[in-house]
Amino acid sequence: MNRLVSLRAVCALLLFGAALLVGCGSDGRQDAADPGLRVYRHSTNGVPTSLDPVQSATAYTNMIVINVYDTLYAYKYLARPFELKTNLAAAMPEISADGLTYTVRLKPGVYFIDDPVFPDGKGREVVAEDVVYSIKRHFDPAMRPQGAWLWQGKVAGLDEWKDAGSDYEQDIEGLRALDRYTLQIKLVRPYPQLPFTLAQGYSAVVPREAVEKYGRDLALRPIGSGPFRLVSFDKTRVVMEPNQNWRWQPVDIYAEGYDEETQGFSGVAAIHGQTPPFVDRFEIDFIQDSAAMWNSFTKGNEVQITGLPVELADSVLASKRPVTLREDLAEKYHITSEIETGFVYQGINMDFPEFGYHPDPAQEKRNHALRCAMIKAFDWNARNESFYFGLGVIFPGAIPPVVPEFDPELSRDSVTRDVSGARRLLAENGWTPENLPELLYGTGSGVVYRQFFEQARAWLVEIGWPREKIILKQFATFGDLNRQWRESRLPYIGLGWGLDYPDAQNTLQLFYGPYRAPGSNLTNYNNPEYNALYEQAAVMQPSPERTEIYRRMNRILIGDCVTIIGLSRTRIPIWHREVVMHPAGGMVGGFQYPFIALSDGAGGIRQAARSAGIP
Amino acid sequence: MSTRADQLHALDDVSGHRESLWSKAVYKFRRDRAGMWSLAVVLVYMVVAIGVIFGWWATSWAELEGGKWEAPSADHWFGTNIIGQDIFDRAIYSTRTSFEVGLVVAVLATALGGVLGALAGFFSGSWIDELIIWIMGVLDSIPFILFVAAIAYSLGDTPYAMHIAMIATFWITAGRLIRGEVIKLRGQEYVEAAHAIGVPEVVIIFRHILPNTSHILLVQATITFVAAIKSEVILSFLGIGVKEGMSWGLMIAESTREVLAGFFNNFLAASALLFGLVMAFNMFSDALQDALDPRTVAGE
Repeated sequence: MNRLVSLRAVCALLLFGAALLVGCGSDGRQDAADPGLRVYRHSTNGVPTSLDPVQSATAYTNMIVINVYDTLYAYKYLARPFELKTNLAAAMPEISADGLTYTVRLKPGVYFIDDPVFPDGKGREVVAEDVVYSIKRHFDPAMRPQGAWLWQGKVAGLDEWKDAGSDYEQDIEGLRALDRYTLQIKLVRPYPQLPFTLAQGYSAVVPREAVEKYGRDLALRPIGSGPFRLVSFDKTRVVMEPNQNWRWQPVDIYAEGYDEETQGFSGVAAIHGQTPPFVDRFEIDFIQDSAAMWNSFTKGNEVQITGLPVELADSVLASKRPVTLREDLAEKYHITSEIETGFVYQGINMDFPEFGYHPDPAQEKRNHALRCAMIKAFDWNARNESFYFGLGVIFPGAIPPVVPEFDPELSRDSVTRDVSGARRLLAENGWTPENLPELLYGTGSGVVYRQFFEQARAWLVEIGWPREKIILKQFATFGDLNRQWRESRLPYIGLGWGLDYPDAQNTLQLFYGPYRAPGSNLTNYNNPEYNALYEQAAVMQPSPERTEIYRRMNRILIGDCVTIIGLSRTRIPIWHREVVMHPAGGMVGGFQYPFIALSDGAGGIRQAARSAGIP
Repeated sequence: MSTRADQLHALDDVSGHRESLWSKAVYKFRRDRAGMWSLAVVLVYMVVAIGVIFGWWATSWAELEGGKWEAPSADHWFGTNIIGQDIFDRAIYSTRTSFEVGLVVAVLATALGGVLGALAGFFSGSWIDELIIWIMGVLDSIPFILFVAAIAYSLGDTPYAMHIAMIATFWITAGRLIRGEVIKLRGQEYVEAAHAIGVPEVVIIFRHILPNTSHILLVQATITFVAAIKSEVILSFLGIGVKEGMSWGLMIAESTREVLAGFFNNFLAASALLFGLVMAFNMFSDALQDALDPRTVAGE
C-alpha cells in the first residue's frame, strides 16, 4: 500500500513537473501577464546608444527613433527602389521655382504622447514650431548633436544662429514656422536631397518642454508622436507598444509599392484594407552573438525574424541563387534576400606621403602606381565568398547598384584581380620589396577583423610586399578606430557606408575634398576637378545631365586609385511564417514596423487584442 | 623486497661517496616512466617550435593556399580555414608562440619571484618584507584574468604587453615559496657562519641562500610555463593576446563562428595540440617535483 502511495506520489510529481515544463515552453509571444496580447519579437546585432533624435547616428538607433517620434516624411513600406511618402507632413513639399524655398504643411490634430511634462499630463498638438526647434537642436553644441551635417551650409542663417550662441528665442531666416501648421525652409543653394533628410531620425520632432525638463534623460525616455510609445529600454532589449492615439489608417499596400511578383510569397497582401496596429507589443532583442541569435530564432517562441548568420548559409540554404531554404525549414520560415543600401570599401589615406600626395611629382606618380597595384591585388571575389555568402554585389567605383545613377556599363577592371599586372606596375615604377613602405593596417578587435587583415596581407604579399612591412594595429572599440581615421592617423581605411538617401551624391561626397577628415572623406582625397563637378551636381535636380556628372566623377575616382571599392552585401532575413511582413532594411529600416502583423493561420491576420477591444 | 630508498643507499655505497641532491633527482626522475614520456613529448614540441623559429616548417601559415573551409586532404592535413589558410601550418606555427611565451614568462617571472621572495624572506619582519608581502597581497586580490587583461589593454601596442602582464602576476607564487624557504635557510649554520666572517648580506642572499632554493625555482618555472601557455591562449581568444603571428587561442577564437557551420578543424587542431602540450608539461612538472622533493630525496 505504502509502495503504491509513493508510486502515485512520484507520478503526481512527474506530471506536475511535466506541466511546469509545458508551461515554460508555451508560446512566449503571448504576454505572461496578459496572454491575449499579440507580441512580436525580433533581434538586431547592435544596441542603440541613445533614443534622442539628435544622436540617432546608427541604424539601430534610427529604427527606434522613427517609431517613437514622427518625421515629416517616411519611406514607403514595399516600394523598391525606395520612395518617399508623407508622414507628419500633409503633402510633399512645395518647392519654389529657383529650388531654394521649401514649404511643408503639417497634418493638424497630431498629438505627442501623454506625459507629465504637458499640462494635465495630456500630450499637446504637434505644430510647425516643434519641427523648427528639432532641427535647431542639431546646431546647439549643448545637445551633443550628430546630424548637423545634413543641413550645414545649406539652410539660410542656420550656421550663423549656431555661431551666435544657439539662442532658441532668435528666429532664423531659413527655418521658420509661418503658422501653426506651415514650415518654411529657405536654402542658400539648391539642395534636392532635402526631403530625404526630413525622413531621417535626425529630423524627428521633439517637444521643447520635454527636452528642457528631461535633458539628457531624453536619450532613455522618448516623448514623441510616433506610431509606438516606449515601454522599456536597456542594453538587452527595447519594448514598445502601439500609440493608440496615432493616426492609424487602413493599409493600402499598392500605395506602399506592393509588387505581387517579388513580395507575394510573404503573404503581406493580407494586411490590405486592414487597420493597424496589428500587434500589442513590439520587442527587439539585442543579440550580438550569431549563435545565440540563431538559437533564439529556431527555438520557436522567441525571436521571430533574424538575419541568417553567414556561417549557416551552407547548412540552411537549399540554393543561393535564388536564395531558398531547405525543404524542412521552408515549412516553418520565410526567407528573402536584398542588397544593402550601402557598401564596404577600403580607402588609402592621401595625407600619407608614402602612399598619397607628395610634393615631388615623380614620387606622386610612383605613389599612384603603388595605389593602383594595391587595388589590383585585392580579390573582391574571395572576400565575397569568405564573408558575404558569395552573394555580395561587386561593383566598380562609388556608385552602388541600389541608386538610380548606377552605371552597369562601367569597366570592371578596378574590381578584377590582376596579380601580374600589379607586379608589373610596381616594377615599372621602381618599387621593390626593399623600398615599399610600411603599411599600418588599423582595424577593430574582433576575430573577423583580424581575418580581413590576414586576407588582405596575403594578397599584398603575393604582389611582392614583404609580410613584415604590413603591420596590424587592432583597436579595442570602433570608436577608438574611428577617432584615428578622423584624425588622419592611419594610412589605410576599411569600413562600410550606409546610404542616408537613395542618391549617388550621398556616396560621392565620401571623396569630396572639403569634407576631408574629420568629415566623411576619410581618404582626404582632394581633386579640384572632382570637387568642381560635385559642387555643380549638388544643386541639380535629378536628371540625365546630373547622372552623367556623377558617372564622370566616378571615373575620375577610379582613375586616381584612391579607394578599393566596392561590394554591397546581401542581407538574408529569415522569419517565422506566422509573421505577416516583408523585411525592409536600409533607409526603410524601421518604417515597416507599424505594418507588421501575425497570421491567423488561414491566410488572414489577427487583430491586436487591444485595438480589437479584446480585454 | 628493496625499496627506492634502499636502491638510493645502495647507489651511495657503490659509488663510495654520497650523491648530490641533483644526481639523486636525475636518477629518480629517470625511473619515473610517466615523467620520461612526458619529457619526450615536451621535447617533441620543443623541436617543432625550434623548427618553426628556424623556418624549417610551417612557413606558409599566413598564405592563402586553398578555398574556404576545405576538408582535410593530402595537401592540407587539417583542412583550411575561412580564408583558405592551412590549419595544420597554423597549428604548428602556434607551437612556437606557446613556447616563446611560456619560456619568457616562466624564466622572468620565476627569477623575479626568486629575487623578491629571497629579499622578503631574508629580511623577514622588516619593512622590506612587509612591502613585498603587501604588493603580493594587493596583486593576489585582483582576479587574475581581469588583472592581466587590464595590463594588456593599458600597454596597448607594446608587443610584449601580454608577457609583461603575465610576469607581473606569475612571480607572486614563486615569491611566496622562496620567501618561506629562505626564512628556513637563513637560520642554517652556514648562513650564520657567513655572517660571522663578515660576508655582505647581498652576497649571502644571492650566492649562498638562493642557489639552495633552485629545486623550488625549477619546479615553479615548469608550473609557470604551463600557466603562461594557457593564459596566452585565453588572452588571445579574448583578442588581447598575440598581436603578430598565430596562436592556438586565436585559432579557437576563429572557430567560434565555424562550429555553428559544423566546421571543427580549427577548434580540434588547436585544442588537441594545446591539450598535448599542457598535459605533457603538467606530468613533467609533477615528475620533476617528485624527483626534487627534499623530503624524499635528501632523506633517503
